[in-house]
Amino acid sequence: MNIEILSAIVLFSSFAILLVNGVPVAYSIGISTSLVLIMNIDFIPSVTTTSQRMTTGVDNFTLLAIPFFILAGDIMNTGGVARRLINFAKSLIGSLPGGLAYVNVLSAMLFGSISGSAIATASAIGSTLTDKMENEGYPREFSAAINISSSTTGLLIPPSNVLIVFALASGGMASVAALFVAGYVPGILVGLSIMIVIYLYVKRNGFSEDKRVKFKNLFNDFRRAFLSLTLLFIVVGGIVAGIFTATEAAAIAVIYSAILGFCNKELSIKDFKLILLRSTKTTAVVMFLIATSMAMSWLFSFQGIPQILNSLLVDSVSNPILVFLFINIILLVVGTFIDMTPAVLIFTPIFLPVVTELGMHPVQFGIVLVLNLCIGVCTPPVGTLLFVGSGVAKVSVMKVMRPLIIFLAAMTVILILITFLPEISLWLPRFFGLID
Amino acid sequence: MHRVYNVLIKITESVLVIIFGLLVVNVVWQVVSRYVINQPSSFTEEFARFALIWLTVLGTAYINGQRQGHLSMDFLLHRLSNHKRQKRQKLIQVLMAIFAFVVMVIGGGNVVYTTLSLGQTSPSLLIPLGYVYVIVPISGLIIIFFSVYNIKTSNFNS
Repeated sequence: MNIEILSAIVLFSSFAILLVNGVPVAYSIGISTSLVLIMNIDFIPSVTTTSQRMTTGVDNFTLLAIPFFILAGDIMNTGGVARRLINFAKSLIGSLPGGLAYVNVLSAMLFGSISGSAIATASAIGSTLTDKMENEGYPREFSAAINISSSTTGLLIPPSNVLIVFALASGGMASVAALFVAGYVPGILVGLSIMIVIYLYVKRNGFSEDKRVKFKNLFNDFRRAFLSLTLLFIVVGGIVAGIFTATEAAAIAVIYSAILGFCNKELSIKDFKLILLRSTKTTAVVMFLIATSMAMSWLFSFQGIPQILNSLLVDSVSNPILVFLFINIILLVVGTFIDMTPAVLIFTPIFLPVVTELGMHPVQFGIVLVLNLCIGVCTPPVGTLLFVGSGVAKVSVMKVMRPLIIFLAAMTVILILITFLPEISLWLPRFFGLID
Repeated sequence: MHRVYNVLIKITESVLVIIFGLLVVNVVWQVVSRYVINQPSSFTEEFARFALIWLTVLGTAYINGQRQGHLSMDFLLHRLSNHKRQKRQKLIQVLMAIFAFVVMVIGGGNVVYTTLSLGQTSPSLLIPLGYVYVIVPISGLIIIFFSVYNIKTSNFNS
């Protein structure tokens, strides 16, 4: 048998076996990568190369933005940011029929962009709103489905760690600034599509309108949420205007949120130490995943897999629409099995050359890829967000799946739109002169 | 063994928190030095990159010592009977220890050896690159110790 084919078989089968048997994802990636390398070259060079690729993979200044955004989000979570954002969203749109459901979506969008983590969002917003929504007549699984699907919007609306990972994986073809700005419209569209589903549900089940909140209260709630929302402006504005890099913006976000927490007396020095340790743990898990994924991604290019796939797809399937559909379907399937970060790092180098050759802009592909994987984290078997969201609402995953499918269908419609209408993602970064 | 474990956890914990704290200060300083005192600092970016390597690799070892460890697909694991699950979890610990030994101790050690014997130093901080990479074999050894400890004391998430 051909060594390339044998390598591919060993790679995928060893990875799958390790993964389903509960070996941590990062280790599964690392073990199967070194196994294949040992098959191809001598033992010492192959283990040395694996180790080297892992360290050089994280030897990157831009990547440092990720631990900083994790830390800033953690500091914000400890302070009362979630509560303030929910209150603001409530006095803004809570009086509509089915208001609380919309409040869930809007606060997940706001909190998601500030915290940068879909999982933190789902637990912060879900734990506050699910009980309240049950009192107003929403089944718990329905609330959980709203919460889970709308928590993904924060991965598209900047600042977003996944988009930073994509910028890295694209090898400089897409800048962090352009990706951040490109994420706004698609992220908001996903939020709106979820709201439309809620609108139809509310209409069918007859929810009544609430009394409007007085303007004075709305203003007060806005004032309380204002300083947290300002952070978004500083971070994204600073990056887009070229005042600082994503990493520097993230460090400033840490300082800003810490000062805000101390001033509001929601944070003590003792809390701060605990937060730093908690963020260190999250960081280590994410960064090790990046390290081993970078090694596997290198192995793919070492074996020339991107070129093989490129010639296979571009030459044999001449219709770009079919190729885009095909890539989307593969990514949807991949997303249900692999976590977001390794999926971005491994599949970007494989698919990016194909789609750019067919005329898709790298920035647009980043958004398409991330939205694909957003749907993936909401589905079993590996949907981390699905499990956290169901856990917070205290309902079984299977029960949540039924209402969730409708929301995922809405997200898929948006996915098709952003795949075939490049302007949805590209007009805003073009407007700011970030891409040509 | 418990004592060694506790000491090791405490040390890695402190080192990691200090590195993380320094990283924040370092990058804020980079911005301040550029805009406020108009003298862009030359070493901050390099320090940040090296500290991130340490944070990642030592952090990995630290997580290996925790009950709630790395991200994994554990839903099949939870379907097994208690006895079988324990056995499976021990096997996973052995696999992680083998990876740590082969890739991190042997492979990582080889990287350290090569960069040190070639005398490679970093461009602006002028430290031998071997000192940066030395964290890889060290963390590998820590992971092996944690694996042995976890197996002996059944320190798993159940």
